Amino acid sequence: MGSQQRDFAEFYRESCDNCLRAVLVSVGDQDTARDSVDEAFARAFASWRTVSRHPAPAAWVVRTALNANISRWRRRRREVPMPDPGLMADPAAADAADRSVDPRIMAALLRLPARQRQVVALRLFLDLDTARTAEVLGIAPSTVKAHLARALAALRDTIPTPQQEMPSCTTTT
Amino acid sequence: MHDDDLITLVRQSFTGLHATTPVDQILHRGHAVRTRRRIPVLTGALAVVAGAALAVTTLLPGGHQPTPQPSTLPTAQLAAWTVTRQADGTIRVNIRELQNPAGLQSRLRADGVPASVTLTGQENPACRPYPASAAVQNRVLSITSEIIPLTHQGPPTSPPEPNLVLVFHINPAALPRGAGVQLATSFTPVRPGLATSAIRHGLVYASPQCTGS
Repeated sequence: MGSQQRDFAEFYRESCDNCLRAVLVSVGDQDTARDSVDEAFARAFASWRTVSRHPAPAAWVVRTALNANISRWRRRRREVPMPDPGLMADPAAADAADRSVDPRIMAALLRLPARQRQVVALRLFLDLDTARTAEVLGIAPSTVKAHLARALAALRDTIPTPQQEMPSCTTTT
Repeated sequence: MHDDDLITLVRQSFTGLHATTPVDQILHRGHAVRTRRRIPVLTGALAVVAGAALAVTTLLPGGHQPTPQPSTLPTAQLAAWTVTRQADGTIRVNIRELQNPAGLQSRLRADGVPASVTLTGQENPACRPYPASAAVQNRVLSITSEIIPLTHQGPPTSPPEPNLVLVFHINPAALPRGAGVQLATSFTPVRPGLATSAIRHGLVYASPQCTGS
């Protein structure tokens, strides 16, 4: 294996999980996310000399995966109807589609508008700062802050806190 | 719940999700991406030798057939398409020219693939899309472009011409119950007498009217 392949392999091992998580939050379907991320990493390797110099190569992969997903949808829309996003907002449906992620949190994320989900994905899973997130998404930093604040507020309202989940230990006699 | 606690909770809920594709597979796919990027250059080279049997033929809808050009290069003996059953049970379809769709359809059906093939710019109206995820579709049907060196009957010193071939891999065992395969050409007119073409592919409901069974 050449040095270029070794560098890429190390990058892949370090970032593949978080890229997959970020893309899954954005697209909502695990099969689609895995395929898009694989394609994006393949493209990253094909352009590794350029991508390796990118300030945030993982963000490049996520952006490319999301673009690949849009291209795939455009290519196949006449042949295959896409799954109904509303279906995925149902915890039971989310659970059936993706058992490796807490279904209540996945359902809460999928209720967010697409742009808020993308901001959450980049900030939470890739640890990008506001400026880099804005650059990747092509929006203003202030818009990133607003989207993140609204997303967290919405998640706080829909995700049960650990205290709410605990069964009551008190009994009356 | 504070923002930090909420962020931690969301992150922790994804810790069970891992990418499972081996890096070697990604590297292999990356090499294929590089190959795909070289194809437009070679396609341009093919356009230079238009009229020879090497170019991918573009058919226009009825009444707009391009005027045939005289061949100036030796003609290779090639089938428009070939169908080959692989040892693993999958079927490989090489398409060099968009001709004889009925023959290709019959051949695929004879090999056990419920198929609808229309290479005339119109889809079979009896076919209805079969709802399947991208992953399922990819398991059944994948497409690549390959440049296959071609030996022709020219002078011994002339190099083989590049031959652009669309390659479909069909896995009949992965077909969902009640589904079939559809190959259909789409045309985008560029200017009078010239159109770009693409082969759309997808899954459809199998039926006697659409896929023959």
